[in-house]
Amino acid sequence: MAGGDVEDFLKQNRDSADLVEKFQSISESEKQWKFRREFILRNLSEFQDTNIDHLLSLSMVWANHVFLGCRYSQDLMEKVKEMAEDIEVEDAPVFKTRDEIMKQRS
Amino acid sequence: MGVPAFFRWLSRKYASIIVHCLEEKAKECNGVRVPVDTSKPNPNEVEFDNLYLDMNGIIHPCTHPEDKAAPKNEDEMMVAIFEYIDRLYNIVRPRKVLYMAIDGVAPRAKMNQQRSRRFRASKEGVELTEEKSRIREEVLQRGGYLPPDEVKERFDSNCITPGTEFMENLAKCLRYYVAERQNNDPGWKNITVILSDASVPGEGEHKIMDYIRRQRAQPNHDPNTHHCLCGADADLIMLGLATHEPNFTIIREEFKPNKPRPCGLCGQVGHEIKDCQGIAREKQGEHDQFADSLPCSEQEFIFIRIAVLREYLERELTMASLPFPFDIERSVDDWVFMCFFVGNDFLPHLPSLEIREGAIDRLVGIYKDVVHKTGGYLTESGFVNLERVELIMQAVGVAEDNIFKKRKEDDASFKRRMKEKKKRMKADKPAFLPSGQFAPQALGRRGGPQPVDNPRHAAFNMRMHGRDQQNMTPTGSRDASDGGPSPSGGVKRKAQDSDSEPEPEDNIRLWEEGWKQRYYKNKFDVDASDEKFRRKVVKSYVEGLCWVLRYYYQGCASWKWYFPFHYAPFASDFKDIKGMFTEFELGTKPFKPLEQLMSVFPAASGNFLPVSWQKLMTDPNSSIIDFYPDDFAIDLNGKKYAWQGVALLPFVDERRLRAALEEVYPDLSPDEIKRNSLGSDLLFIGKHHPLCDFIRELYRVNSTESVDIPPELCHGIKGALDLDENAILPDKIVKSPVPMLKDITHNSVISIKFKDPQFQEGFVFKAVLLPGAKLPPKVLKPGDWERSGRGSWRPQLGFNPHRQQVHLDQSAFRALGHNMSRDRQRDGVYSSAPPPGAYNQGRGGQLPPSLPYSRQQQGSLLGPSPGYNQQYPRSYGNVSSSGWNQMQSHGSAYQQSQQRGPGGGNYHQRYEERRDHRGRQGDNSGRKYPLPPTSGRYTWN
Repeated sequence: MAGGDVEDFLKQNRDSADLVEKFQSISESEKQWKFRREFILRNLSEFQDTNIDHLLSLSMVWANHVFLGCRYSQDLMEKVKEMAEDIEVEDAPVFKTRDEIMKQRS
Repeated sequence: MGVPAFFRWLSRKYASIIVHCLEEKAKECNGVRVPVDTSKPNPNEVEFDNLYLDMNGIIHPCTHPEDKAAPKNEDEMMVAIFEYIDRLYNIVRPRKVLYMAIDGVAPRAKMNQQRSRRFRASKEGVELTEEKSRIREEVLQRGGYLPPDEVKERFDSNCITPGTEFMENLAKCLRYYVAERQNNDPGWKNITVILSDASVPGEGEHKIMDYIRRQRAQPNHDPNTHHCLCGADADLIMLGLATHEPNFTIIREEFKPNKPRPCGLCGQVGHEIKDCQGIAREKQGEHDQFADSLPCSEQEFIFIRIAVLREYLERELTMASLPFPFDIERSVDDWVFMCFFVGNDFLPHLPSLEIREGAIDRLVGIYKDVVHKTGGYLTESGFVNLERVELIMQAVGVAEDNIFKKRKEDDASFKRRMKEKKKRMKADKPAFLPSGQFAPQALGRRGGPQPVDNPRHAAFNMRMHGRDQQNMTPTGSRDASDGGPSPSGGVKRKAQDSDSEPEPEDNIRLWEEGWKQRYYKNKFDVDASDEKFRRKVVKSYVEGLCWVLRYYYQGCASWKWYFPFHYAPFASDFKDIKGMFTEFELGTKPFKPLEQLMSVFPAASGNFLPVSWQKLMTDPNSSIIDFYPDDFAIDLNGKKYAWQGVALLPFVDERRLRAALEEVYPDLSPDEIKRNSLGSDLLFIGKHHPLCDFIRELYRVNSTESVDIPPELCHGIKGALDLDENAILPDKIVKSPVPMLKDITHNSVISIKFKDPQFQEGFVFKAVLLPGAKLPPKVLKPGDWERSGRGSWRPQLGFNPHRQQVHLDQSAFRALGHNMSRDRQRDGVYSSAPPPGAYNQGRGGQLPPSLPYSRQQQGSLLGPSPGYNQQYPRSYGNVSSSGWNQMQSHGSAYQQSQQRGPGGGNYHQRYEERRDHRGRQGDNSGRKYPLPPTSGRYTWN
């Protein structure tokens, strides 16, 4: 599902679109939100309404990793990478985590 | 305020705000410690009414001190805290109120900072433990000795957060402590103690401010109450100014740089953990009697006088020819507001405003301009006029480009200087270094310099040695004279390069064209064209400025609001901000303590939480797992060390947090439910207090409604009282929570719940001086003093403007001369050196220069011994002679040094002493202080 596909999908599924749109957080730029929305939409079918927070959480894990440089446990990282398999993030920022900085120093 | 540089800047610029504390120490008599009687007058020559303790500033150093061994267990920590409070109480000696505030749940705006601190602290703790065990292993393998590792759990400083068992325990201990002191300490007999523990929401210092604000808004408040607030945070100074109370003083530990810290492994001073060798400890003193004392004095305290700061600010901010009358109170508020631009706990500081680069002075300059132009102040009672703020921001924005360029230049030249210095230190050894007994020695080393023995021979040896070396290397190459195998120049250069620190990479390059685009791209990951996003950031920042100012002047406007970005926008981005803020959401509620723990702790500190709550922090299927990354990025942001950088932690989504917690709330035990509930402030009084009978009566009739304090019974303090089911009551035993302290069997102290006076919603606390408030006498030297011809200016050193000057009378000088002559045996290398300065000239004629002070002369009544004079050679002059000019210039030199730091004060005091003394002994002063000659001051013949 490339960018254009997402738009098509949203046009055809107004309900999902409205549901998802309110999840954009204030800290998020349009670009980041575009990718995270794609992450949510791709996996929406796997999660029921009651479980939507879990999906949101996973989407944040993925977005935090890609756009903020956070690292989570191995299992979790693998899981979200799998869920985001077909999303192509252009020009993602590069980070150095705290552990990396400390390792470099010693 | 998270700006350590702020206090440094302030105390340098406004040096007279600082007064050193006098602390009376407990005496010991035949091995029995006699405690200080704090009911006696305050030795600082000032009487304080109220003492406020921002307890977190005390808890942290007492539980994990940096300059001594950590307490072994929680009990020792509690005792350390008690002792610390005792010390402060002894210095300040409040007469009316002691208010102790522990940080409760903070507003959301503060939580981002708390979160970042706790995530870091947790990682730093783990790293420290790892380093320790690694080095311990190494040292032991090398056969070194280390004291056995006491099997103690690492104290996780993160437990100093509301809602943990530790905090509950601490509150219990403090209740006991207050009761104990009120029962037994005469200085505590009449004091009203209010304890606001961690179960009461709000940051400690802001709970204190709320108390002061609410008291001053009710009619029974004494407008001349002298407040003393304890805490090291620079924002306490802002808070002190914001109260507009005329008598407000802050007490804090004096910051001494380069204090030796004991090694975490062997406990010895002088090296860091990574350099620990495990060498046996040196004996301290002949019989190792100083084993536990560090080679530095005990931490001392200083007062910061807000009244003096107000004087300075009045001088600096006064604007002539305003279209309206100048009001210093409003200007002070504006100054406080502008300081927030430079840094505060709730907002990242603007990239162009750096306190070290004189940002506040720049702002003040711009400010005066703007007030002239717009005809009004920026703020009023904590409410911001955005239109005027925009003008300030625009003015900063215009300069932004140059600020960044200059920063780069300064940075580069600083680096160049450091590099050159390093090179000098390394390569440029002096051509000749005396050796043997003439070898240079560091000052202040134990033992001191030894008397010179057979100097001719030593000089001969050195000469011969030098000649031999030159003979060996006829070319005189430098490398050889360094001794040892000489590395070639090429190798040397390489070695030098390798130890220069790696530069943190900087892809923003604020000094280069296009910096704004790069900044937004790198920090926010948006294009510069994304006007919408930039406006969003600016809007949030504007809201933040309004929130912070309101927080300081009116209390927490919204518990929910926070700044949702990691970086600030540029000053030049603040355009059309007038309509950006209207009002905060009303009726927001603080988090519950355990909810706050969930939002500020990393998963590694989860042990402070109930098990099912912990699981939310670690389980991959938790619906809030994204709040708890294992590792996170640090943006060094131009800084060098990880702890200086910005921790890029995700923000907590409150809705999702609450939803997730709903499911685990039923798992709380009764004890945890109690810890999670909101508590109230407690008021304690002893049996001598006039309010005591009133409260006893309330308990007797078992009153169920809250009752107002009759203000006449309690120094005009207003507030509501409610019975406390766990109260401390007279004639009931107060159990000691610390095993090493005794239960209180004969208790006469009573405690009750206390609530600050309440005001209607929308009530505005006025930021003005109260009617009837008397400003303390001025301390600073009036600008027109010289012209007024009132003689020489005598600076005020303490609180008392009429302090008795110390002086020595004749007999004292006799005694001094007598003693000095006996003590001053000619045993030091400098003992025969003449004292510096012009004053010797007079004697120069009488005595051969080689023998300036013969022994016979020293004991004579002619005057103070040279040893005494030597220390203050500059202060002598004679008014009627050419020496006067000289003294004048010293006088001004002195004043400069007074501006620079408190050190000058001593000098002046002694100087005054000397003058005083001279007056009394005018007849022979001519002999003692001969006039400096008109020329050739430094020639001896």
